[in-house]
Amino acid sequence: MNTWAGFPLPKDGPAPGSCIRVERPEDGLVFLHLDPPHRSLAVFDGPLLRDLDAVLQDLEHDHNLKAVVLAGADPLRFAGGADLDAIATFDDPVVLEEVVLAVHKLFRRLEKLPARTVAAVGGPVPGGACEISLCCDFIVAADHPKTRIGLPETQLGIIPGWGGCHRLPRRIGLPAAMQAILSGKLYPAKKAKRLQMVDRVTAPEYLWEVAANIAMKRERVRPVSRGWKHWLVDRNPLLMHLVSKKARETVMKKTRGKYPAPLEAISLVANGVQTPLEEGAKKEARAIAKLASGSVCKSLVRLFQASEAAKKWGKNADGTSFPPLQSAGVVGGGVMGGGIASSFAMKGIATRLADLSQDAVDAAVQNHRKDVAKKVKRRQFQKHQGMAAVDALDGTTSIHQFSHAELVLEAVAERLEIKQSVFKEIAANVSESTILATNTSSLSVTKIAEGIPHPERVVGMHFFNPVKRMPLVEVIQGEQTSEESVRRVAALALRLGKTPVIVKDVAGFLVNRILGPYLDEAVRLFLDGADVQKVDRFLVDFGMPMGPFRLLDEVGLDIAKHAGESLHRAYGERMEPASGLEALSSESRLGRKTGKGFYDYPKDRKEKPTPCTDLASFQTRTVAKNLPKEDVVDRLVLSMVNEGLLCLQENVVAGPQELDLATVFGTGFAPFEGGLYSYAQRRGLQNIQGRLLELGKKPLF
Amino acid sequence: MKPFSAQDHTADIVLAAGIRTPWAKAGVAFREEDAAHLGALAARELLARSGLANTDLDEVIAGCVGPPHDQANLGRVLSLRAGISQGTPARTVARNCASGFETVTSAMDTLLAGRGDTFLCVGVEMMSAYPLLFGNKMVGLFEKLMKARTLGARVQAIAEFRPAFLKPRVALLEGLRDPITGLLMGSTAEHIARDFGITRQACDQYALQSHQRAGAAKKSGRLEKELFPVLPLDRSNKKNSLSQDDSPREEQTLERLAKLRPYFEKPDGVVTVGNACGITDGAAALLITTAERASALGLSPLAKIRSFAWTGCDPSRMGLGPVSSTHAALQAAGCSLEDIGAVELNEAFAAQVLGCVHGMKKEGVGELRPERLNVNGGAIAFGHPVGATGARLLLTAAHELKEGNHELTLATLCIGGGQGGAFVLENIT
Repeated sequence: MNTWAGFPLPKDGPAPGSCIRVERPEDGLVFLHLDPPHRSLAVFDGPLLRDLDAVLQDLEHDHNLKAVVLAGADPLRFAGGADLDAIATFDDPVVLEEVVLAVHKLFRRLEKLPARTVAAVGGPVPGGACEISLCCDFIVAADHPKTRIGLPETQLGIIPGWGGCHRLPRRIGLPAAMQAILSGKLYPAKKAKRLQMVDRVTAPEYLWEVAANIAMKRERVRPVSRGWKHWLVDRNPLLMHLVSKKARETVMKKTRGKYPAPLEAISLVANGVQTPLEEGAKKEARAIAKLASGSVCKSLVRLFQASEAAKKWGKNADGTSFPPLQSAGVVGGGVMGGGIASSFAMKGIATRLADLSQDAVDAAVQNHRKDVAKKVKRRQFQKHQGMAAVDALDGTTSIHQFSHAELVLEAVAERLEIKQSVFKEIAANVSESTILATNTSSLSVTKIAEGIPHPERVVGMHFFNPVKRMPLVEVIQGEQTSEESVRRVAALALRLGKTPVIVKDVAGFLVNRILGPYLDEAVRLFLDGADVQKVDRFLVDFGMPMGPFRLLDEVGLDIAKHAGESLHRAYGERMEPASGLEALSSESRLGRKTGKGFYDYPKDRKEKPTPCTDLASFQTRTVAKNLPKEDVVDRLVLSMVNEGLLCLQENVVAGPQELDLATVFGTGFAPFEGGLYSYAQRRGLQNIQGRLLELGKKPLF
Repeated sequence: MKPFSAQDHTADIVLAAGIRTPWAKAGVAFREEDAAHLGALAARELLARSGLANTDLDEVIAGCVGPPHDQANLGRVLSLRAGISQGTPARTVARNCASGFETVTSAMDTLLAGRGDTFLCVGVEMMSAYPLLFGNKMVGLFEKLMKARTLGARVQAIAEFRPAFLKPRVALLEGLRDPITGLLMGSTAEHIARDFGITRQACDQYALQSHQRAGAAKKSGRLEKELFPVLPLDRSNKKNSLSQDDSPREEQTLERLAKLRPYFEKPDGVVTVGNACGITDGAAALLITTAERASALGLSPLAKIRSFAWTGCDPSRMGLGPVSSTHAALQAAGCSLEDIGAVELNEAFAAQVLGCVHGMKKEGVGELRPERLNVNGGAIAFGHPVGATGARLLLTAAHELKEGNHELTLATLCIGGGQGGAFVLENIT
């Protein structure tokens, strides 16, 4: 295959010169529109880079040239980042380093053009798109909710490799650049202007005109200058040291050193201002080569691609979008129902929450208003947006008032006859096309749909607790559920900022089914004498967000027991729950919600919980007391792996990609491992099988 | 002005549905609400309960005496906040204490002009939110300060300041003073008391009855039919929904009422805070449409509007407005006061209500029998959120048709500035 400096140029790809539309609206001014025919949003892939190379060559020989405007296909479609698919094909770090350097040189040529250059950006401007803009003399951004500018590379396990680590700190200063690059945040236009990431903000409709005026010096814009701060802050060795030390501490605390990219970024950015660009380019390329060939980056990229792929479920099969949901109903004002209703209302969906108890409705609405107030305080919402979010949720004690809701979700008690009667009553009062979604975690969606008129619109929409933080929604397709219902619910999940995974209607669905054996195994370890805190620490070290006992406390011992029993009923002997935990759990000891479970929870939520002192009295044996770390981790993690692979075999999810996504977003399974399947694949089936057999032979298994 | 009479028109205009928030003492439960939010709550609740789509309306009409300064067209703001479609126009109307009535008569005028058949009428008043204003001298000082360019000019402006400048103008009090006669509303009631020889004791007796009837209506669940629980916007976050009007005092006694000093004319007046209406927040929403459209929407209307009338009277005796307006509305309805099963006559002041009873007898309108007058109590017990009261009177009178199995009921109120408004409602069987 042909390549441009290593980037693949597919045979059936676009013709040379077709990826950049060159326009000369007036004498001396050139507009470069990144508008490749094979993509809706330009991505820095082989064909685009090849054409950019050619265009720059022309411009370098154009003696009449006064100004260049770099623009997108339209004001809100500038460009994306690097072509991740292509980068994933480079296995050899040496090749990758050269490829990165080639792009560097290309960008540097744009920077060195004697003409005045202006980037006219809008819409998403992540990574590579941001870095090429930084090479221009001025950046004008379209003021629009879709505009998001930044360098998110660290989130994918790499670093900004096309000059970002060096040009951004030069432009906006060391502290702000450090924060931008480590957080990977994408900033709205106005915020970017405040940070001096862009020089001018204007309406999308005026973007190109303003860019042309600045390029042709008809509008004067003061070039960004750090002034005295350049010397006192950005090049101050003491400050550089302090900033990078602080950043390193924060990163280590957050990632426990499992992610190399942020650490790499810190040392590059800290020296970013004083490193000459040519040398910086080499450093960045070397870092990229090292990071991109590592497993963390590969895992994160794969997860990113999986979550991008999940987005296709939010559209019709032919790629057209659904009209956004306007109004919804939620039945059940408990923790789940209230949380779900609140998340609807936050997105401006007019939501009516129904519960038989006025007190439950009141509590749910109050919680929603509290959350809105927090968002206003943190400036995530402007005042009027907060007001709209408050307006969007109201409560009632009747379930007969959803007549114009396009979707009604139930989150009532987990009993089949209750759920069915709720749906029947709702169905009698709404239109035939109203989606009936159930947030059940343990009942069959197919069974719930039985006897409901138009069962094709009954679909599972399984949120996780706490709703506002958990990023996964399992969309459960019952036997009669139509694909359209599934897609409409997936679209809603995406709008709420969640990732939908389509799951077959089996007991426990995917996440709870996998967590079942894991938590059960933890209970067995406990009964056999294992130290609760130690086990939890081992699993956190492995990469879980919290240990199994903390998780059991969070879920609630009663709920966990109920879930375990329903898994047992569905899957028989192999899911038989461990017996012996009854002694520990009681009405007043059900985990976090009662203040006590495996741990004692201080009233002040900021204080750390401590393991209960009486735990030993519930342990029946001592064999697991001093179990080595590997055995503990493998016993727990491999129970999950085992169940996950079984789910794949039974087609509970579409494929390994979805399994990875669901385990990372639903259980918090170590993202740097890429998810359950990626982890298993890396370890190798034989290794896993052998290890399970070995553990099985040990007397306590 | 010519009254409206249903006989003159072929289409029946109906009050198809209605709902209100509880009436809450100003500065208590709803102190952090704003007018648009409270109105929007009532509007949304009405749409949800009656199963209307947000595109079913031709216009939204809000009535409010003191709309907040940041909600210039309150009707539009509350309409959008209630989720009513952007394409539905909205306006705000006012006729002082009868602004709630005015929403309905405005809707009917528009309907009769053939420019729509479905109107959402919302009366709302947030008396908690009435502002304190700077006096003219302070405003003058601010102006000078704004214009001052030099430091000297600024110092000079500041030097003019006197502590007395800080004395606020209370919008509520100024709003309750008639600018033509210079009388506070309570003083107009004192005029009526003297005209008809109404005693302090009679006033207190009437006030007590209002509280007692309100208490009974609360207990029997009668009021729950017209209101819905509202969870107040409140940062303290500890309160639950307000599900009842919070003003009626069950423990009210004649002795307690007798202890209160006259508020407006000391020491001989009869009007006290005990026998006058309270300062209150609330909102009520009504759906005005034709009988035909109501049945197309699947609604069973509460009442048919048989007639209404606006009349004018002496502003210094504005409390007698209901006498002339009732007279005109009854004539337009083709019936007598005797035919009316229940009368909702707004209780601005006990003296004013009793004055109307005397006045109607004197003017030959008829005898207002106590057992038919304000059977669930009135504003003395519930309070009087001025812009919303008219809508509540109509809602209560409409419910009373079914409750008391009456053929006709009447809603009427007096209006600051010297006017009266009255509606005759007819049972739909």
